[in-house]
Amino acid sequence: MKASRLAKHSLRMMSRYKLRTSFMMLGSLIGIAALTFVISVGQLAQRKIVTMVGHVFGDSTIIVHTGGGAMMGGPRGAGTRLTVDDVKAIVKQVPGVTDWDARQGVSLTVRRGDARDTAQVQGESERSERVWNRTASRGDFFDETAVTGSARVAVIGETVAEQLFGHDDPIGGDIQIGSVPFRVIGILEPWGTDPHGMDEDNVVVVPISTLMRRLANLDKIEMAKLLVSDPGQAEQMKVQIQKVLRERHALSAGQPDDFTILTATEVHRMVGQVQRVMFFYLPLVAAVSLVVGGIVSASLMLVSVNDRMAEIGIRRAVGARPGDIGLQFLLETATTILGGGLGGIAFGYVVAQTGAMQMRLGSVNPWMAAAAGVIASSVVGLMAGVLPALRAARLHPVEALR
Amino acid sequence: MIELEGVSKTYERSANEMVSALIDVSLHIGRGEFVAIVGASGSGKSTLMNIIGLLDLPTEGRYCLDGQDVTRLGANHQAQWRNKKIGFVFQAFHLLPRTSALENVELPLIYSDRKSISGIGRKALEAVGLTDRIKHRPSELSGGQQQRVAIARALVNEPDLLLADEPTGNLDRRSALEVIAIFQTLNRGGRTIVLVTHDHEVANYSNRMVTLERGRIVADDNVPESRTALMEAQ
Repeated sequence: MKASRLAKHSLRMMSRYKLRTSFMMLGSLIGIAALTFVISVGQLAQRKIVTMVGHVFGDSTIIVHTGGGAMMGGPRGAGTRLTVDDVKAIVKQVPGVTDWDARQGVSLTVRRGDARDTAQVQGESERSERVWNRTASRGDFFDETAVTGSARVAVIGETVAEQLFGHDDPIGGDIQIGSVPFRVIGILEPWGTDPHGMDEDNVVVVPISTLMRRLANLDKIEMAKLLVSDPGQAEQMKVQIQKVLRERHALSAGQPDDFTILTATEVHRMVGQVQRVMFFYLPLVAAVSLVVGGIVSASLMLVSVNDRMAEIGIRRAVGARPGDIGLQFLLETATTILGGGLGGIAFGYVVAQTGAMQMRLGSVNPWMAAAAGVIASSVVGLMAGVLPALRAARLHPVEALR
Repeated sequence: MIELEGVSKTYERSANEMVSALIDVSLHIGRGEFVAIVGASGSGKSTLMNIIGLLDLPTEGRYCLDGQDVTRLGANHQAQWRNKKIGFVFQAFHLLPRTSALENVELPLIYSDRKSISGIGRKALEAVGLTDRIKHRPSELSGGQQQRVAIARALVNEPDLLLADEPTGNLDRRSALEVIAIFQTLNRGGRTIVLVTHDHEVANYSNRMVTLERGRIVADDNVPESRTALMEAQ
């Protein structure tokens, strides 16, 4: 009864000093806003990564990528020597591969009349639908005949369709890739933006033979995806694939691989690294700003103990125990910081949602960030309140009244 | 009610300089008395009041309040005693700013053990004639009104003892008389009142005058014909 009376009284007193209270709120508001932003955007990016990885990378997947060294990204210049024949040799010599597809891609201008678009043009086989897990949502994917005959047919992404055809029906339409005429036979299932912000729908898929002979004059491939019957055997198969490729590329013992083999184990490790950054290091940075905010609030409160000396003296004179005074200051600091934290959650959420919409990452789910924000600001609030509370409680009533 | 036996208070002003504010003070004040403690500034009268009011502890001697030895009471018990048994009135009123008269009066109730506090503060304000100023803030009240709010606050827990430190020091003559009149009425109602002042005229409204000089009691006299403030105020 007495405690709740004291609490209510403290809150009412705080509302009388709006400027001081708002300044103290500001510190935690900024910190919690940063925390909320980082966590909610991190969650979105994480969801995106998991979906993207799920699209291309199941447990029964092995990807053979041209070029050694770096796992993903980065330049893979000359010396890339992976060919379709390499992949065929792997399939023949390593048992357990149930399906495969090789892929090569180039960035080219795609035109229809005056409309143009620079898109990623990918050469794949008719098995691509199954192996890469991406079908035509409208129209058809090309078949084996198209691949053997290097047919000039294309399955285009939603973005390309929109750029070139607008409201017209793209199926059966004619386009030019580079300077070569193609016929559109289907629209790719939409995938949205990848975690790097690349538009996965700004893509054109053509038969790989057509790409190599008519568009890019290439005989190398960028990568191949193998599906295996037993995911448990993937690591052993990786060793065998490595042996086959090293033999075919005539690499001597000291030379490094000129290809990279990715299994589910490696991909999971990479995803784990990304998650550590998203859910540990980034929130840590935000937490530092929160702690700074807490220190600012604590010092403001310490100063206010001096300003409120007379008030403390009066309270002691009318019967407040040292603990009552301490409790009041602790409560004031904690509620102020929690209040700022709630504002920060709202602010961070709005910023995250705006950013996510611009980056086409989908909508933010604020609950985890909100929970983290409430917990973090309560903890920081209580900690920031300890020192002012002790200082206020230890004040001698006679000195306070002087 | 108040029994001080050989009370001394020594402060440490700096590392090797001790200041004695009170030296061997013995004083008995009975229930229902109206005592004025007079003395020049620095005579130790405020220190004496702080000790009587349990805001401070003596360095030597014994203090019994209401028959109980309170010389070595811990801070929490001191607070409880102050809350229940003692009301304070200060020269500078010491009201909380930005806080209504009623909320100021209710302050001691917040720290009391009472289950419900509603209505009590309003009654105390009625007793000092401020029913129409309940929602006013101190800055909206005159000095005399502020001091009456402070008296209502001091009385709200119905303490036996009222301690007033220069209560008229910041007031004009008329307001001062009004405040003293309230003290006299309270005293007639049976409350013990200890008033600290440097002003002999104010002390003349009490029944007994204790004079302090450099930390010692030098005189302790009854006031033979104490004046009545109420009539003079009108």
